[in-house]
Amino acid sequence: MWSDLAKISQENKEKEFPKLTEKDVESFSFVVDNVIGYKKERRAAFIPLGGIPHIPRSREEILISSFFESCTFKATAACVVGFALGGAFGLFTAGVDPMSTMSTETPTTKMVLQEMKTRFKSYGKNFALVGCMFAGTECLLETYRGKTEMGNGTITGGLVGGVLGLRAGLRAGVYGAIGFAAFSTAIDYYLRH
Amino acid sequence: MAGISEAQMKLFTDLEIEMTADMFNKMTQCCQKKCVPPKYKEAELSKGEAVCLDRCVAKYLEIHDRIGKKLTSLSQEDEARVKQMQAHLQQQQQPS
Repeated sequence: MWSDLAKISQENKEKEFPKLTEKDVESFSFVVDNVIGYKKERRAAFIPLGGIPHIPRSREEILISSFFESCTFKATAACVVGFALGGAFGLFTAGVDPMSTMSTETPTTKMVLQEMKTRFKSYGKNFALVGCMFAGTECLLETYRGKTEMGNGTITGGLVGGVLGLRAGLRAGVYGAIGFAAFSTAIDYYLRH
Repeated sequence: MAGISEAQMKLFTDLEIEMTADMFNKMTQCCQKKCVPPKYKEAELSKGEAVCLDRCVAKYLEIHDRIGKKLTSLSQEDEARVKQMQAHLQQQQQPS
């Protein structure tokens, strides 16, 4: 494409162009109409601008990359990863601190596996919910604000902590908001600073 | 004006190319100054920056279109008024 443009410009330099007379440009509105107004020639060709040659991305590539950057994908990915992480954490706690330490009888394998399954599901669901809400809220907030800065994490933490804490009353909601906001700010600071 | 001569056609295409290139350069400068903070740690655009750039480009192009239309209408009015004044002056001069 660039070699074609070079050839055309070389041809243009060699061609003889008719000279402009004063009468041709005496009417300013005529020139303006033809250059930027309604008489402008609408071309289908795409004139490459910018100087840096780049291959324009195909429509499918743009769609796919915009899907992977969308808020729904980020929230779903956080949900899935949160479930896996929460499940692993649940299994770990089931091994370290099982409920059977309360009773004196030694647990059967079936009971241990049952407890592992319960903890896996419970912790997994909690982590998935928190992760999904946090990621979704942060992505929506950043889309709305149009800025990328540290304050986004704090506001998201406050919102998610507040909503999750309100399940246990107003005071718990306020404490949850403050705590989660502080935690989120700390993580953001560590990751970005 | 009856038709467009070849010299005029070349002038118009040259002007259009120069104008589009200038608009593109100014748009990239302006939108980068507004949307991308000067200190960054990674090469990829974050979500907020990408969204801001989309909005900046759309707004810039719309402003460009509207101002262009206003300019054409203003220049047409101006020229009509000048022609009217010239015709008036000629009328006044003819009897004398």
